[in-house]
Amino acid sequence: MSNTGQLTQAESATSSQSRILKSIVSKAIPYLVAVVAAFAVGAIIIVLLGHDPVRAMQSVLTTSFKSQFGFVETMHKWVPIVLCALAFTVPLSTGKFNIGAEGQLLIGATAGVAVGIMGSDLPMVILLPAVLVAGVLGGIVWAGIAAFLLVRFQVNEILSTVLLNFVSFQVIDYVASHVWPDVGAGHPATISVGEGALLPRLGPSPAMHSGVLLVVIAAIAIAVSMRSTSAGFEMRATGANQRASLVHGIKTSRLAGAGLVIGGGIAGLAGAIEVAGVHGKMLEGMQSNFLILGIIVGLLARGNNFAVPFVAFGIAVLEVGASAMQRTAHVPIELVLIIEALILLFVLFSDVPKGRFKLGKK
Amino acid sequence: MVDFFALVIPAMVPFLLAALGTVLAGRVGVFNVAQEGIMVLGASVGFLVSLKMGGNFMGLIAAALIGAVIGLVLGYTTAILRLDQFVIGLALYFATLGLGSLLYRAVIGTTLEPPLIPTLKDAPIPGLSKIPIIGEILFSHDLVVYFAFIVAFAIYWFMYRTNAGLKFRAVGENPKSADSVGINVTATKMWATVVGTALVAMAGAYLPMAYTGIFTEGIVAGRGWIVIALAFLAGWRPHFAVAGAAFFASMEVFALKAQVAGIGIPHQFVLMLPFVATLVVMLFAFKWARQPKYLGVNYDRESRLSG
Amino acid sequence: MTLNGHPRLKMTGIQKRFGPVHALKSVDLEVAPGEVHGLLGGNGAGKTTLMNVLYGLYDADGGTIDIDGSTVTIKSPRDALAVGVGMVHQTFLQVDNYSVLENVVLGANPGGSALSLNLDEARSQVLDLSKRFGLTVEPDAIVEELPVGVRQRVEILKALYRGSKILILDEPTTNLTPQEVDDLFQSIQAMVAEGMSVILITHKIQETMAVCDRMTIMRLGENVAVLNKVDTNPEELAAIMVGETANEDASAVVLGEDNFVSLAQDGIAVSAKNLVIRNDHGVDLFQGFNLDIRAGEVLGIAGVAGNGQVELAEAMAGVRPLQSGSIQVEGREMTSLPTVEWLRGGVAYVPEDRYRDAILPTATITENLLLGSQRSASVKKNGLIDWRAAQKRAEDAVSAFSVQASGISALVGALSGGNIQRVILARAFAHKPRLLILHNPTRGLDIRSTQFVYEQVSEVAKTGCAVLLISEDLDEVIAQSDRVLALYSGALTGEWSHSEAEPYEIGRSMTGLVKES
Repeated sequence: MSNTGQLTQAESATSSQSRILKSIVSKAIPYLVAVVAAFAVGAIIIVLLGHDPVRAMQSVLTTSFKSQFGFVETMHKWVPIVLCALAFTVPLSTGKFNIGAEGQLLIGATAGVAVGIMGSDLPMVILLPAVLVAGVLGGIVWAGIAAFLLVRFQVNEILSTVLLNFVSFQVIDYVASHVWPDVGAGHPATISVGEGALLPRLGPSPAMHSGVLLVVIAAIAIAVSMRSTSAGFEMRATGANQRASLVHGIKTSRLAGAGLVIGGGIAGLAGAIEVAGVHGKMLEGMQSNFLILGIIVGLLARGNNFAVPFVAFGIAVLEVGASAMQRTAHVPIELVLIIEALILLFVLFSDVPKGRFKLGKK
Repeated sequence: MVDFFALVIPAMVPFLLAALGTVLAGRVGVFNVAQEGIMVLGASVGFLVSLKMGGNFMGLIAAALIGAVIGLVLGYTTAILRLDQFVIGLALYFATLGLGSLLYRAVIGTTLEPPLIPTLKDAPIPGLSKIPIIGEILFSHDLVVYFAFIVAFAIYWFMYRTNAGLKFRAVGENPKSADSVGINVTATKMWATVVGTALVAMAGAYLPMAYTGIFTEGIVAGRGWIVIALAFLAGWRPHFAVAGAAFFASMEVFALKAQVAGIGIPHQFVLMLPFVATLVVMLFAFKWARQPKYLGVNYDRESRLSG
Repeated sequence: MTLNGHPRLKMTGIQKRFGPVHALKSVDLEVAPGEVHGLLGGNGAGKTTLMNVLYGLYDADGGTIDIDGSTVTIKSPRDALAVGVGMVHQTFLQVDNYSVLENVVLGANPGGSALSLNLDEARSQVLDLSKRFGLTVEPDAIVEELPVGVRQRVEILKALYRGSKILILDEPTTNLTPQEVDDLFQSIQAMVAEGMSVILITHKIQETMAVCDRMTIMRLGENVAVLNKVDTNPEELAAIMVGETANEDASAVVLGEDNFVSLAQDGIAVSAKNLVIRNDHGVDLFQGFNLDIRAGEVLGIAGVAGNGQVELAEAMAGVRPLQSGSIQVEGREMTSLPTVEWLRGGVAYVPEDRYRDAILPTATITENLLLGSQRSASVKKNGLIDWRAAQKRAEDAVSAFSVQASGISALVGALSGGNIQRVILARAFAHKPRLLILHNPTRGLDIRSTQFVYEQVSEVAKTGCAVLLISEDLDEVIAQSDRVLALYSGALTGEWSHSEAEPYEIGRSMTGLVKES
């Protein structure tokens, strides 16, 4: 995992601004090329499907910025994407792959909705924090299973986190159809949480929920902790070379487990915010494809926590544009997932040393 | 009981074919993690070709071909460009997942009634199928069932009973050693990945053809991930993959039966069963199961750092 | 000594670059049939690179290769084997879980068909070869369970089975006892007696003088001299290897000259009692092991690899938990403390496998130097790591240890072996060690870096630090230690003071014969 595990270089105090600028530009070029190439392939597919590529692309790229509503929707998508990406990058820094953010998100949502329903008479100052904390704890518990299996039994975390996703689907289906079912919904969903469990809006409608602010703070705190706390350094060292870290007194196995658990907590927070900020209840399918988007963002950011929020914004724009594209240009929404996967593939290609792009090199 | 086992055998097919494909690539060091997506793509392509061109046979061939193309991408990016296998695998998982759904949407559109393909017909083997009990359990299935078992045997025979197999396994155990005695590591990795991924896609194509007759996005339902666990559990050996497939197929059939019979437990808990069982089994698997030494590791002949 | 007037092997103008590094700058090599040819040079001279080109592992950027008078193209090991070139690498290229026989025949399609597997004929061929050249092996043993000396024979048999007429041996004596070295040299003599040519890559002058007929000396990617054994002497070879610019110390290192000065003081600094140490296979390899090191003393542990060196080093460094027993450093009981407390208590460990155990390859020099002290108050400000202070420290360490790098933000994995070792030593010394554990500290280093390591060890011994030098290079152990202990299978089989140490006697103890005292 050589590229994604790379430690972010501590900024050199002496390096001049122009050098930083130059390095940013040279790092940005592969991304620009990848994005353009992926869209070009996407356009070809649209033409092959017999639709209008210009109109489709226009919808994809501009919907977020054409209206207040579009922008709010984008930020509301941004929130779970950022959190799911961090749920991936934090364990990744120890060299572990958390592919279980959607399970952790759903169990976080379950915990949040449980508190929100059972304590629905409580005032907001108590209930809202309780819902959010419950969400975090739910995610921690769910990821904790995988962490325990990893630390205690060396069970591959990729598989355990993925399999727990499938278990979580059944858990929320059970909760939504047996514990607090909303019989009139026509779709497995719980009844609504109490008023006090809802995140206040920022300004008049259409306005975004205050979870956006919460996530900005959380993302900065996580990124700074990973860079500059002893534990963060130890986690990154573990990812860079587990054996060497062990030899130098770092409790690597425990940290790997901790990374997963922290990731789970972050994903659980996303679940709670979805309940408290967007749906007001829990419903089947609320995890959308945040798992995949989070991983794509995490990999595009190359594990750099500071870059995650920005990359996530770009992906959120595409996602909001995707629905609009399907409405206006009748291009199936899945096309955007393909474009995102292609951006990732093309960015990965930029890691290949020059001159290796030929067959039969020997 | 006979009824139960007669159901388990065809239920093994997707697990077995996909696991064999995973094992084949894994034994030369290519760790594919895109099974779930590749199976969705295989199911979609297999379904569409069966529907539009008539015939499940054509559908299976088409699925194998699209799988081979994905295998080519996986092989090229890892064995030749030497990009991180796991990251490429994830990217391919996303791409194939999207492509599978997109193709279905593009060809079928949104319909009220999903179109149906005829499911595979049983082809009892003359003579053998008449044997009491065993005949019904083993020899009264569709042709793909027999095909899967023949592939399992062929891969086993190739790996352990031929010179080519001795060389093949060496690539995943120590590619530098294999290279140093003149084995073409890159070519071996390429063909194993292409064939292996084709098998995974065929495993996906079997799902609409054998069970449902329709395609849905959730048709694979986690089997692709279970298959990876299965490969680990089998110690990356084809003969143990047969046993592993039998185990997971039994879980699946049991869950289905329990759901239908209504044993008083909410069906959600029954549906969790295969996944929970996989987790439990993995507790033991990672202790004793052996894996190829260079599983997931790309080989760079001129790397000066690697031993 | 030529066949039809042609040399067996003629390499002309071979060039190879690794990125910016010009590893081979137009190198020539000529080997006659029936000749043992020494390829001599310090580490980094390009010997192995040149032979990897001949064996098709590296693609040369220029030059030609002639074998028996005809030009050949070698693009892969397959090509090399086809023209009769076989190579035994320093790290054996074997499939660990295959048997001896399977390893020997791998890739050669015994029985002719790719779609069958019949090893009967191959078995008798291998047994025949093994008898002819004195290379005893058990065909059905699994190679990962065999000792190094036997695995080397397997590797030689691999080349012989394929009909090699040129056999390249890369530093073949590194992990052998002096007795095993003698056996190997006898096998080599048997091969050349049958007309084969053997190329011996080595940095040890004594070895070339013992077994080679002729030698090519390389330095910094160039061949600097070709000499017949009868026309030269060790001093001349050393001077050529090191080059005119080098100092006398470097020459002394090459020749293994004794200029040892003891810095040992009175009083035990480190005391290990009744150690029971378990290896990775769950076996208690050390059962009641005792060790004392005085302040300022360099205690050398000699032994063949795999006799418990790694386990001992890790136990003494507090990395591997003890099953029982106790370790005291300057009177402080360390036994059940976590590794990080050992580090704080002044135990510094320079592991054998730099890449695996010592560095974060994708991290910067600054970050690597911080490893192990990330929790100490001196690098913290407001509870967070003070990166500016860490960079300052890194700048100082890089200049004090002359690390060649583009800067402190250079990734350590991209540095050369010698510079990586300098970073590791800088980190170890920053801990102000009271016990310094060195395991094969100079393996793979060039002469200058090797000399640098020895100088630093003296520096730290002067401060009264106890040094445990575990090395598979017997010459190094003898030259650098106040006392030498021989280690065999987790037990000590002999002890010598610096002045008594004699290679053959120590070598015997390294094979398990207990020294008579």
